[in-house]
Amino acid sequence: MEIHELVGAVHDAAWLPWAVQYFFLIAISTTAFLMALPTFVLGNEDGLPRARLALMVAVTTGITAPIALLADLHQPFRFWEFYAYTHTTSWMAWGAWIVPVYVGGVIAFAWALHRPALHAMGQENWRFAWVFRWLALGGETNWFVIPLGLITGAAALGILTYTGMEVMIVRARPLWNTPLLPLQFAATGFVGALGMMLMLERVLDHSKTLEVRLNRQLVFALAVVGGLGAIWFTLARSGLSSAHTEALTSVAGFTVWRMIAIWGGLAIAVPFVIALIQPAHTGWLTGLIAIHAAWMFRWTVFMGGQAVPKVGSGLYDALMPTGVAGLLGVIGTFGLWLFLLIAYTTFMPWTEAGLPRRSAGAPRPARSI
Amino acid sequence: MDTNRRGFLGAIGRVTIGAAASIAGVTEASASEIATGGPESAVKTKDGHTVHWGMVVDLRKCIGCQACTVACIMENDVPEDSFRTHVSVYEVLKDRQDPAMVMLPRLCNHCDDPPCVPVCPVEATFKAENGEVLVDASRCVGCAYCVQACPYDARFINHETQTADKCTFCYHRTQEGLLPACVETCVGGARNFGDLNDPDSEVSRMLRDNEVSVLRPEMHTNPNVYYIGLDEALDGRVAGEAAYHPPLTSNTHHEESL
Repeated sequence: MEIHELVGAVHDAAWLPWAVQYFFLIAISTTAFLMALPTFVLGNEDGLPRARLALMVAVTTGITAPIALLADLHQPFRFWEFYAYTHTTSWMAWGAWIVPVYVGGVIAFAWALHRPALHAMGQENWRFAWVFRWLALGGETNWFVIPLGLITGAAALGILTYTGMEVMIVRARPLWNTPLLPLQFAATGFVGALGMMLMLERVLDHSKTLEVRLNRQLVFALAVVGGLGAIWFTLARSGLSSAHTEALTSVAGFTVWRMIAIWGGLAIAVPFVIALIQPAHTGWLTGLIAIHAAWMFRWTVFMGGQAVPKVGSGLYDALMPTGVAGLLGVIGTFGLWLFLLIAYTTFMPWTEAGLPRRSAGAPRPARSI
Repeated sequence: MDTNRRGFLGAIGRVTIGAAASIAGVTEASASEIATGGPESAVKTKDGHTVHWGMVVDLRKCIGCQACTVACIMENDVPEDSFRTHVSVYEVLKDRQDPAMVMLPRLCNHCDDPPCVPVCPVEATFKAENGEVLVDASRCVGCAYCVQACPYDARFINHETQTADKCTFCYHRTQEGLLPACVETCVGGARNFGDLNDPDSEVSRMLRDNEVSVLRPEMHTNPNVYYIGLDEALDGRVAGEAAYHPPLTSNTHHEESL
């Protein structure tokens, strides 16, 4: 049988580039936080340089992400209705409660870690000492870092769960409705977070030891992403999982998707090989490609997924919806992140972030990187 | 019960428009009560049973004139670049026979198990007592989660109201005892609308007397829109050559393509 669609309706993407930005940034923030947390909670002083970078990434992307999310709502001023009319059957409704807990938690956690340094700067005799006295809220104790970190860590896991499930349960979109998707979001989140940390390490730190360490971890994260991709493809091709088979079938045969598959494979394989063979002096390259891989995965899933018609034929032109405005939205979100990064490194004594005090006694010495 | 335009025009000689409620055998209710979901908002028959609206589309009678598409747009003030209903047209070549033109009217299926309802984070979309799946636009935050969840591509974001939009089975009309605009305007009598709970209704009779099918049965949504004469090759995502899609040059969200 041969079918030609003569009249059909084109359905443009309903989740726009801002949604991609949200899922990209919040995954990076939560995974970066989960990488920073053990160092501060377990008191591993050797891990401080890496943990400081991870915390910086977590805070700056964690603030940017919900702003991108609000931008994707068509009625952003009705956001309060998420709290007034919570519908417990919706993963998005749960997310509306988890996101502020996480963002508030990560900001409070960073503040608590920096509190002794903020307080010390407020005691010095200089022009803006009053600002830092105010930022330190008149004290320097931070024994509450650990419980705060554990609560925020739980919220971070909650975000990784809800963002994955929210997309995965949409049966109407075969490319989304695959059980591996939440794991793939989390794994690519780690890749993106390590990519950002590598780049920041190159800009702010220039420590060869740290660069090598981050590249080694990137190799591991990329291997996990590649492994998940291989399992996904095996399940789809073998027919062991009907959901994965349906997902593959929905895009198989289209040249653009063949190109995307090759592109995605290279985005994983190239930084993997570089970081494995030459972990030193390649941080810029592996970092940038890793960030690109994490972003591209989400763009492909969200925009590519919405380009697959549910009932019509062919593909919709949704890979770059909203044209230049969408592109400006993406650039604008990165711009906001860059602004926050500059503000964080300028005004926060981030190199002083040390291990929290276990009691109200004398603070443990902080070591800057 | 007269369930299509021909039947309605036949009946109009016997009763006035204002008495159309009695044609459909229903009592009127206040549309403003729908948001509360109160019992007064449900249409009931004279014998007291609650009406369950459904549509039976007889594809043998559809000529693809798009009168329903236009009537819906005019009746519901649908934005220029969107559709609550439209008729897909396919050219089908089977077993080396001459090509056949197949029409397929599409609209919200007002499912009994609608995937769009549980995902709504603020309960703005809901199942009304007469079976319609509706959106409370005063509550909708425009997150478009329901648009993603609908397996029929029957929802869209209305870029004039910035909320989710869809077919309501012309709720405002059925509450007044009138037929949905698409049914009333259907030239060939392909669209039939009525009470599925009434065994004597025309739609119930059509379901009994014909082999009917639904779109995307594998989704288990229990649709209330049935088709007579639907080819299996067209009941899901149609695997075929797509119509010409004009390139996106502006912020449009639905475009008719020929």
